[in-house]
Amino acid sequence: MATATAPTRRKSRLNRQGRAAHVFMLPWLVGLVGITALPTLASLYLAFTDYNVLSSPEFIGTANFERMLTDDRFWQSVRVTLTYVLVSVPLQLAFALLLALILDRGMRGLTFYRSAFYLPSLLGSSVAVAVLWRELFGHSGLVNSALALVGIEGSSWLQNPQTALGTLVILNVWTFGSPMVIFLAGLRQIPEELYESARVDGASVLRQFGSITVPLLTPIIFFNLILQTIGAFQAFTQAHVVSGGSGGPVDSTLFYTLYIYQQGFTAFDMGYASALAWVLLVFIGVMTAGHFLLSKYWVFYGD
Amino acid sequence: MREMSRRNVLKFAAVAGLTGTAAACSGVGGGSGGGGSGGTDAGGSATLRYAWWGNNVRQENYTNALNQFMEDHSEITVETEFAEYTAFQERMTTQMAARNVPDLFWVPSAQVMTYYANDMFHDLDGLETLDLSDYDADDIDGLRLDGVHNTMALGIFVPVVRYNETMAQADGATLPEGADWTWDGFTEFAIDYAANNPNGNWAVNYGPDHDLTLEAWLRQRGEELWTGDGQIGFTADGIASWLDFWENLRKNGAAPSLSEQDGVGADWALIGERVLTYLGNSNHIIDDAQFFPEATFKLRTMPVAADATPGHPYLYTPRLAIFGGIDEANLEAAGTLLNFSVNNTDTLRITGLTMGAPVNPRVAAEVAEFASPDEQQMLDAVAHDRALERNPRFEAPAGSSTWRTILTRVSEQVALEQSTTIDAATAMIAELQSAIDRAS
Repeated sequence: MATATAPTRRKSRLNRQGRAAHVFMLPWLVGLVGITALPTLASLYLAFTDYNVLSSPEFIGTANFERMLTDDRFWQSVRVTLTYVLVSVPLQLAFALLLALILDRGMRGLTFYRSAFYLPSLLGSSVAVAVLWRELFGHSGLVNSALALVGIEGSSWLQNPQTALGTLVILNVWTFGSPMVIFLAGLRQIPEELYESARVDGASVLRQFGSITVPLLTPIIFFNLILQTIGAFQAFTQAHVVSGGSGGPVDSTLFYTLYIYQQGFTAFDMGYASALAWVLLVFIGVMTAGHFLLSKYWVFYGD
Repeated sequence: MREMSRRNVLKFAAVAGLTGTAAACSGVGGGSGGGGSGGTDAGGSATLRYAWWGNNVRQENYTNALNQFMEDHSEITVETEFAEYTAFQERMTTQMAARNVPDLFWVPSAQVMTYYANDMFHDLDGLETLDLSDYDADDIDGLRLDGVHNTMALGIFVPVVRYNETMAQADGATLPEGADWTWDGFTEFAIDYAANNPNGNWAVNYGPDHDLTLEAWLRQRGEELWTGDGQIGFTADGIASWLDFWENLRKNGAAPSLSEQDGVGADWALIGERVLTYLGNSNHIIDDAQFFPEATFKLRTMPVAADATPGHPYLYTPRLAIFGGIDEANLEAAGTLLNFSVNNTDTLRITGLTMGAPVNPRVAAEVAEFASPDEQQMLDAVAHDRALERNPRFEAPAGSSTWRTILTRVSEQVALEQSTTIDAATAMIAELQSAIDRAS
C-alpha cells in the first residue's frame, strides 16, 4: 500500500508544482503573445497592405516589397547599417576580449574594474548617453577642445557625413562591457594545466593565445558574435538622438531601424514600414542561420 | 575548458535570435499612448484629455492655465498630455491608430489636412459653449477646411527677421531700411557686415529649412507652398533660388557652416551670441530672447523683392481641434475648454504669448496691456502684416507630412556641396510628389 501511494503523492506534488510554474509563467506568456507574437503577425499582414495608420489597410500584394528595389533611401539605410555592423561588432568584440584578457590576469580592484567597464553596456543605448555624444563630438565639444590643445582645429564630427557614422561606431564599441563579462567567464573555464603544459613545452604567450585560448573560447566568441550582431542590426536610439531623428547629415546615419521608424511614424506609411521590418527579420534570420552553418568550421565545443 | 555544450550554445543563441528578430518585426518605435480616461459620469461632470507640445516652460505655463480652468469649472477635469513637438506627432500617430485620441489637441502644421482627411476634427458650427461673437467673419472663414469650421486658431505667426540691436549698436551696423530692405539689400548688408565687424560675428543664421520664411520667399515670387487642390505650389526654380540665396550667404562668410551651427536647423543657444540677425517666426522672440537677457532683440518684417507679387504677405495660424470621435456627452465641456483656450485674456496672462498674437480682436487688444516688450514686438509684427493685402494660403496636403524633413536633407546636400541647388530642388519635388500621390 505504502509503495503504491508514494509515487501518487510525488506525482500529485509535481502536478501542483507544474501548475504553479505555469501561473508564474503566465505574465510572461501574456506579454509574449500580446505584445510580441500578435503584433508580429499583424505586421506580416500589414506588410502586404497600403496602411496609413489612420484608415483601414488596403491589400496591395507585394507592392511594398517591389518598392524597396527602387527606393534609394532603403538602399542607403542598408549600406549604413551593414557598415555599422561590419565595423563596430568586430571592433567591440576585439576590445572586449582584450580587456577580458587583461582582467583575467588577476589584479587588485578587479571587481571595481569589471563593474566600471560593464557600466557603459547599461548606459550605451540610452538617450542620455546619445545626448552626451552630441556634446562630445559637436563643433565645440570635448573632442575638439582636446584637439585644440595640440593645435588641431576640428569641425563637428556629427555634421560631417564622413565622420558621423564613425562616432556611432565608437559609441557601440564603448559598450564592450557585456561581451567582456561573458569573455571573462569563458576565460575562467579554461584549465590552467593546458597553459602550464604549453609553458613547459616552451610556447610563447602569443602561441598560447592562438593555440589554447582562442580555440577553447570559440563557443563564447560565437555566442557574443550572434548577440552583438543582432543588436547592431537593431541599433536605433543612438542614431535617432544624435541625428535628431533624421539620420543625417545627408542620410549618413540612416540606420535601417530609423528608416522603418520614419516610414511608420512620420510618413504614415505603416504598410511599407512593416514590409521593411520583415525584410530585416528575414535577413537577420538568414544571417544567423549562416553563422550556425559556418560555425562547424571554426567553433570547438567541449562535447 | 569545462563543458560548453553545443546544445547549450544553440539554446542561448536561438532564444536571443528569436527575441531579437521578433522585436525587429514588431516595430522599433516608442509612442506611449495617452491612456487617459475621458468620459462623463452620471452627475454631469466631464473628464477631458488635452494634448499640446512645446518646451518645459510652455508645459508649466499651460498646466497652470488648465489648473485655473478646473478651478473655474469644477465640473470638468482636464487630463494633460504634453510632449516635445516631434514626439507629440509620433504619439498622436499611435493614438489615432488606436482611436484613443485626446479630446482637444493642438494640430501640427504639416498634419492639418492629413488629420482632416481622417476625420480627426469635430465640426464646431453650432457649438454653444464656443463664443465666436468677437471674431471677424474673415478670420473664421480663413480657418475653414472645405468650407467646414472645425478648428480654432491658437494665435498668429508671421515670418520675420529678428536682430540683436545691442550687437548692431556695438558693431556700428545699421540694417537697410525702406526701399533698400530687399533680399538683395539684405544680402549685400550681410556679407559686408560679416567681413567687417570687429568681433567676427556672422550676419545671419543658415536657415534654408525654415518653413515660414521659405513660404514668404515663394509667395513674393508668385509661387506658394501648397495649392488649393492639395498639390505642390512651388517649382524647382523657386526652391533652387531659395537655396542659392542661403548658399551665397554661407559661401561669403555671412552665415555659419552646418558644423558651426550644429546642423541646418541652427542651435540658437550655440550661435545666438554670434549672429546679428535670425530669420524665423515672430513668436520665437519670446523664448529665444530669454537665452541672452543682456541683449535687446528687435523684429523686422521680411525683406521684400522689388518685383514681389501683390498680396504675398500671409498669416500662419497654429490650430486647436476637438477630436472628431469625442464622446458627444463631452462636447459642450470641450467647447468650454476650447473657449477658455482661445477667447480668454486671463488664459494668456498665465501662458504668455508663445503661440502668437490672438486672433480674437478683443483679446488681442486686452493682452497688449500686460505684454512684455518682446511680446509687444511680436504683436506689432503680426498687426503690421495683418493690415496688408493677403492672398489666400493653403495647408499642407495629406502625404506631405515629411516635407520639412526632405527640405532639411536637400539643404544638407547643398551645404555640403554634394548637390547643385537645382538638382536638390528637383529631387525634393519628386520625392514629395510621390508621397502625395501615394496618400491620394
